[in-house]
Amino acid sequence: MAENALALPPAAPPARPRVLLAGTALVSAGAFMAIVGLVGIYLSTRAGVLASGSAWLPEGAKIPLTPGNVAMATMLLSGVTIWWAVDAVGKNDRQMAYLALGLTIFFGVAVINALTFLYTQMNLSVSTSQGVLIFSITGALIAMITGGLLYASVMVFRTLGGEYHGRDREGLTAAALFWYVTIAATAVIWYAVFIVK
Amino acid sequence: MPPAGSDGGEVKTPMAVIETPAETVDAAADSASTDRPAPAGLAAVLGSADHKVIGRLYAGTALLFGLITLTLGTAFAVEGLKPSTLDVFTTDTAFQSWTLFRVGLVFLFALPLTIGVAMAIAPLQVGARTIAFPRAAAASYWGWLMGSGLLIASYLLNGGPGGGRESAVNLWIAAMGLLVVAVLTAAMCLGTTVLALRSPGLSLSRAPFYAWSVLVASVMWMLTLPVLFGQIILMYVDHRHAGGVFGGDKVLFSQLGWVLKNPQIYAVAIPVLGFAADVMVTIARVRLNARGAVLTAIGAFGALSFGAFLASTSEYVAGSPVTVGIALLAPLPVLAVLAISGDLIRRGKGAVSAGAAYAVAALLLLLLATVAGAIGAIPQTDASGTIFDVGVNHAAVLAAVIGALGGLHWWATKILRQPAKESLGMLAPLLLFLGSVAVVLPDLIAGLWGSGKELTPDWTGGIEGLNVLVLIGAGLVGAGLILALAGLLPALRAGEDVPADPWEGQTLEWLAPSPPPLDNFAGPVPTVTSAEPLIDLREEK
Repeated sequence: MAENALALPPAAPPARPRVLLAGTALVSAGAFMAIVGLVGIYLSTRAGVLASGSAWLPEGAKIPLTPGNVAMATMLLSGVTIWWAVDAVGKNDRQMAYLALGLTIFFGVAVINALTFLYTQMNLSVSTSQGVLIFSITGALIAMITGGLLYASVMVFRTLGGEYHGRDREGLTAAALFWYVTIAATAVIWYAVFIVK
Repeated sequence: MPPAGSDGGEVKTPMAVIETPAETVDAAADSASTDRPAPAGLAAVLGSADHKVIGRLYAGTALLFGLITLTLGTAFAVEGLKPSTLDVFTTDTAFQSWTLFRVGLVFLFALPLTIGVAMAIAPLQVGARTIAFPRAAAASYWGWLMGSGLLIASYLLNGGPGGGRESAVNLWIAAMGLLVVAVLTAAMCLGTTVLALRSPGLSLSRAPFYAWSVLVASVMWMLTLPVLFGQIILMYVDHRHAGGVFGGDKVLFSQLGWVLKNPQIYAVAIPVLGFAADVMVTIARVRLNARGAVLTAIGAFGALSFGAFLASTSEYVAGSPVTVGIALLAPLPVLAVLAISGDLIRRGKGAVSAGAAYAVAALLLLLLATVAGAIGAIPQTDASGTIFDVGVNHAAVLAAVIGALGGLHWWATKILRQPAKESLGMLAPLLLFLGSVAVVLPDLIAGLWGSGKELTPDWTGGIEGLNVLVLIGAGLVGAGLILALAGLLPALRAGEDVPADPWEGQTLEWLAPSPPPLDNFAGPVPTVTSAEPLIDLREEK
């Protein structure tokens, strides 16, 4: 096995210095700014309504804590599993890598499920300014999570195809970076929308 | 030689899953060596992921849209001679046309023109054989083109801010979203190219000024335009599903107003500083000792153009000490580059060129924009929210346009096929500069001392008497643009023995043949050992 591997033609050097990672960093920063911008508008609008003496949420509407907390905790857990995947690929432990990536995708889908469940509990109409803001913000987060899941899935298939391994795990590292930023965005929304309300 | 087993036969070792089967390697090698005819004609343009082709497409289309936008602007200048009568526009269409002009000037003209030049030149400057994510770069152009088409279509269908047809207003919001995503994709490709595809030895501190400014601009666009995209999502949900609880059609334009005002509007003009510094240092034919100062100035100007915090449209934020401080600091980096450019002209050994004329014109106009922005930010002037903001916007946008036109002229042998015509290239920036000043100053004066609210649907802003000057300025800008294009016409023809380095350049793009081949450089790109690799090569000879 070892001799056979040595007989292989030398692998192409990894792209220097990490084109995919640099591109992902820029996109991640942009996606984070989009979420932060939306949350900024949310807080600004909310401050204006509170300053006028009105309550922020319309009568009858509520934002239950449990689904939001579960979503946040699940995202944090997925941060561990994606780190596990990157580490496993670094050790050429493919089975663990698949397991970890599979769990990450499972957790991501669970967060989307928690957020959509929250929609059914809020009793909030989209035809109010609060509804527009909250549905836009959480919708943008769901889109970001979906993008992160697709990105991670592509990297799973690429790893399965042998493109990434211990010496070069740029693709997975890039997907992990985007996922960490998604977790940070979730944390911002969790605090500003679900906790502060 | 395969290892032998104990029975003397060949040992069959299982292949690791990460190894590529030999037959796949052979097939890939055969495929690569097969001579396939290079696409030609329309296929070479429509299907290309070559950054130079995409850059040309961006610049060409932006110039076409620019002519249309400037015509619309000139119509407003005519209207401004006697606004109360509304001779050119009707009351119904004036506001929609005005928003098309304001949005088009940035998103259909200045920004894509700047991106076009950057896309063609930045990879060459850093010694890359391609742009990062070439197919994404091509997608950004086609996405932008589609977004532009939809934006114009939405206006034709009575959409846009203040439009009468709800579905067309929704189309306008969606088109704006597509435009922003396309620009962000382009910024991602450009930023990644400068960050990750620099040739060996070319550290960021050695990066050409223009490439550095493209990186700074890309990062700033990536950090600010997503906030606009988030706002567009909000607008769409509000307008499409909530019936306009945030104010409906009329406030759509004011919601994106922060993108068209300072400091955010300066982000469009960041590459002006890099272009000017590159041109000046090249014509001076010296190694610039103050490189760090120029790089810092460009970086600082980028940081000072961060205006996303104004997206919440809070009056408190607009008049806060931080906002005023940013506006007051913004002229300093421009002054620094201008001062270093002046010193380079004084020390320079080379002849004055059209590129230098474009650079000086763009720098002076950007200085006017930033100084005006600083004055307008002082609360006592009461200029914020008046037509003064339009003047600052026009100054910054036109500076970006002049800088990009200068880039097309200066790098004509790399972007197009031959050198551009120098005589026309000397005259065009003069007309563009004078015209721009004539367009901008009346708005600034009207904002400070006139009745001038920023234009409202009944279109009554400005001081009527000064609008004659605006019309003259618009004419001069139009004439300057046509002259600039005329100067570029000879560069479109194929030529023989086109010099690779007509200006005795210092940076790697001048190492590439003119016009550059598909992979940019004819031979290997040398390891860079200083910020002026071509001077090093000449000295070695």
